Amino acid sequence: MTPVKGGYAVDVPVINVSERARRENASVLSTFKAFGVTFRRMITSVFKGDMPTISYPEEQRPYSQRFRGTHILTVRDDGSLKCVACYMCATICPAECIYIEAGEHPNPEIEKFPRRFDIDMMRCIYCGFCVDACPEEAIIMSREHHQAVYNRGETIYTIEKLMQRAGIDEKGPGYRPNDPFAEAKIFDPEKNKECPIPSGVDERHPAVLYESQINKRH
Amino acid sequence: MPKITLNDQVYEVEKGKTIIQVADEVGIHIPRYCYHPDIGVEGSCRMCLVEVEKLPKLVPSCATPIADGMVVRTNTERVGQAVRYAMEFLLLHHPIDCPVCDQSGECWLQDYYMAYAQHDSRYPLGEKTRRRKAFNLGPAVKLDQERCILCTRCVRFTRNVTHTNEIQVLNRGHKAEIGIFEDAPLTNPYSINVVDVCPVGALTSSDFRFKVRSWFLQGTNSVCGGCSTGCNLRIDHSARAIGGGIPGYTASDGKIYRTVGRRNVAVNKSWLCDEGRLCFHTLEKWPRLVTAVAGGQPTTTADALPIIHSRFDAIRKEHGDNAVAALASATNTNEALFLMKRYFKDRVDFRIGKETERYQVMQDDLLRRLDKHPNTQGAIDLGLAGDLNGLQGLLAAAERKEIRGLWISFHPQLVDADALEAIDRLQRLIDALEFSVISTTHDFDWCRKASVILPMAAWSEEKGTYTNYARRVQITARAVMPPGDAVPLHVMMVELLSLAGVQVTKDPGAIFEWLGREVPLYHALDYDTIGPLGAAPAGRAQDIKEVLR
Repeated sequence: MTPVKGGYAVDVPVINVSERARRENASVLSTFKAFGVTFRRMITSVFKGDMPTISYPEEQRPYSQRFRGTHILTVRDDGSLKCVACYMCATICPAECIYIEAGEHPNPEIEKFPRRFDIDMMRCIYCGFCVDACPEEAIIMSREHHQAVYNRGETIYTIEKLMQRAGIDEKGPGYRPNDPFAEAKIFDPEKNKECPIPSGVDERHPAVLYESQINKRH
Repeated sequence: MPKITLNDQVYEVEKGKTIIQVADEVGIHIPRYCYHPDIGVEGSCRMCLVEVEKLPKLVPSCATPIADGMVVRTNTERVGQAVRYAMEFLLLHHPIDCPVCDQSGECWLQDYYMAYAQHDSRYPLGEKTRRRKAFNLGPAVKLDQERCILCTRCVRFTRNVTHTNEIQVLNRGHKAEIGIFEDAPLTNPYSINVVDVCPVGALTSSDFRFKVRSWFLQGTNSVCGGCSTGCNLRIDHSARAIGGGIPGYTASDGKIYRTVGRRNVAVNKSWLCDEGRLCFHTLEKWPRLVTAVAGGQPTTTADALPIIHSRFDAIRKEHGDNAVAALASATNTNEALFLMKRYFKDRVDFRIGKETERYQVMQDDLLRRLDKHPNTQGAIDLGLAGDLNGLQGLLAAAERKEIRGLWISFHPQLVDADALEAIDRLQRLIDALEFSVISTTHDFDWCRKASVILPMAAWSEEKGTYTNYARRVQITARAVMPPGDAVPLHVMMVELLSLAGVQVTKDPGAIFEWLGREVPLYHALDYDTIGPLGAAPAGRAQDIKEVLR
């Protein structure tokens, strides 16, 4: 680039628009050429199935394995929540969308569990920092991103909603950087019908809530 | 006075001090776990080792008295290595579970590891010793033996400060652990101080445990409002909304999570009693009053004050100045009491019980006093303990129809319940009056009988000064915002005075300066000289100067 007055001179291909227009001007031939292109696309899409579009939302394109969609709270082998309410995710969260209330777990080795774990999905920017910060891999992300709801209150995802297998059956899990090392599991309502509930816990415990929700659905 | 050289700098210091005390005074930080200025020397953590010239080995600075001509170095490579090795031993069996540990963020192990050690552990993580966790030492304190570093600060606190000896080191050698005897739990009235002195996450307060992480908290230096001792404390409250905009869940910018003792050698050393420490929960006990109520109808404070002023004026014109008076509370600040005295033309009293007899009487031999109001001495100094004879005298005068209009400022006791007979008398007083105004912090049923009820800011929601039992003036700060329409009493008084034609600023510091000009005892005091640790009024300050001379 050579500095010239008012900026830099850059070698750019120059298209003389008026010249090109004059060349293609009023040619019947070019009109039929265009018809040809349309006709060829029609033949290939109808008979060969070579469609440039998909019929969303019935059909969906595959997403990356690192797609950052709706969060999932993982569980231990016995089906109880893996989260230890350490607030690392709430601390790192740049959107400040995670709200946790810790409770005393009856097992002193585990110490804490979340009495409440809410994510405000309207505030969330899906940066995945919470997943990176989690020392237990208690929170991972899915490839699900459909979150249309009928009122704003539903966009606050509580524990029971976050434990649901958000689109995992169809799409597989999303952003989960520590996968090979973690022992976190995703809640399976088939295997874990009997969730151990920490004693002395109110009915807001995730396991209780999830059970009641399953019962409601059937 | 002996001279010592500390890190190539010569200091002249008092005889009998230890090296660590001198270093603290001149601002050189020596790392320590077991040493605490108010509970004495143990010398078990080996963190405070320093190099003294002509001594072959490093010496613990907490246990070494200074001598003339001593040359001490705290920053040599030899000292750094010793501290690093000490840290490695302390962290050998420490479970590195900082994310779930409640001390995280204010843990001395974290701080000193980052500042002095930064080593890699040579001990396999899976083989660390497991010990008892979440063990109740008493109703207010829980112990995690895994995280304990055996600095024995808690043991020495119960031995040297409270003399109750509940916490002990059990067993010996590598089996040594902190514990209690089964029939003697930690129940002394100063038990939560062991949580304050614990440098690691071993001792946690059952009240504060798991409520919030320490880095979400903001500290405000203040004074306890629980009794006339006026212990210095730090109010830890939410610094910002946690949880963003989650409606209904968001902790507002006004929640107190805990209070921590603040060191003031002249008042409380580093200690707080459990009642005073947890006294902020008293404010949550009843529903707060958030709007003013006049004649049963909700209104605003700004609308109610002109009405109040005109009613008081009318009563004064009809029945003379003496027909209007005020009953303040000894929990109100000096500034509010002073302005109140101005507006009510010296017709102010504050005694609803036996405050003046009890405010200097100790409840035990450490801190607590029988009078549970923080500012009884201040009210006496302002001359409020006059011939109105307190609540009883006002009640008699009201029943004789000598007093027709009265302002009652009611702040509930933060420690213990208010005396039932005082409440009963207040109710009778309201019934006997022609026009009564109550400024109250909480929405009590008995207040509803008054002509006007005004919401008032409580302790921790207003700035001002309290004068403690020993006439030490200390600043109580605003940590959180008062709820709804509530304002501090001194602001209401400023409004009333401006209606009466006296223009006063709402700034408590400026009001205190005016107070200092009017009240000879508080002459030469202002917020700058009071500072974070408080100051005695001039009379006593002169005594101290004479002593120093």
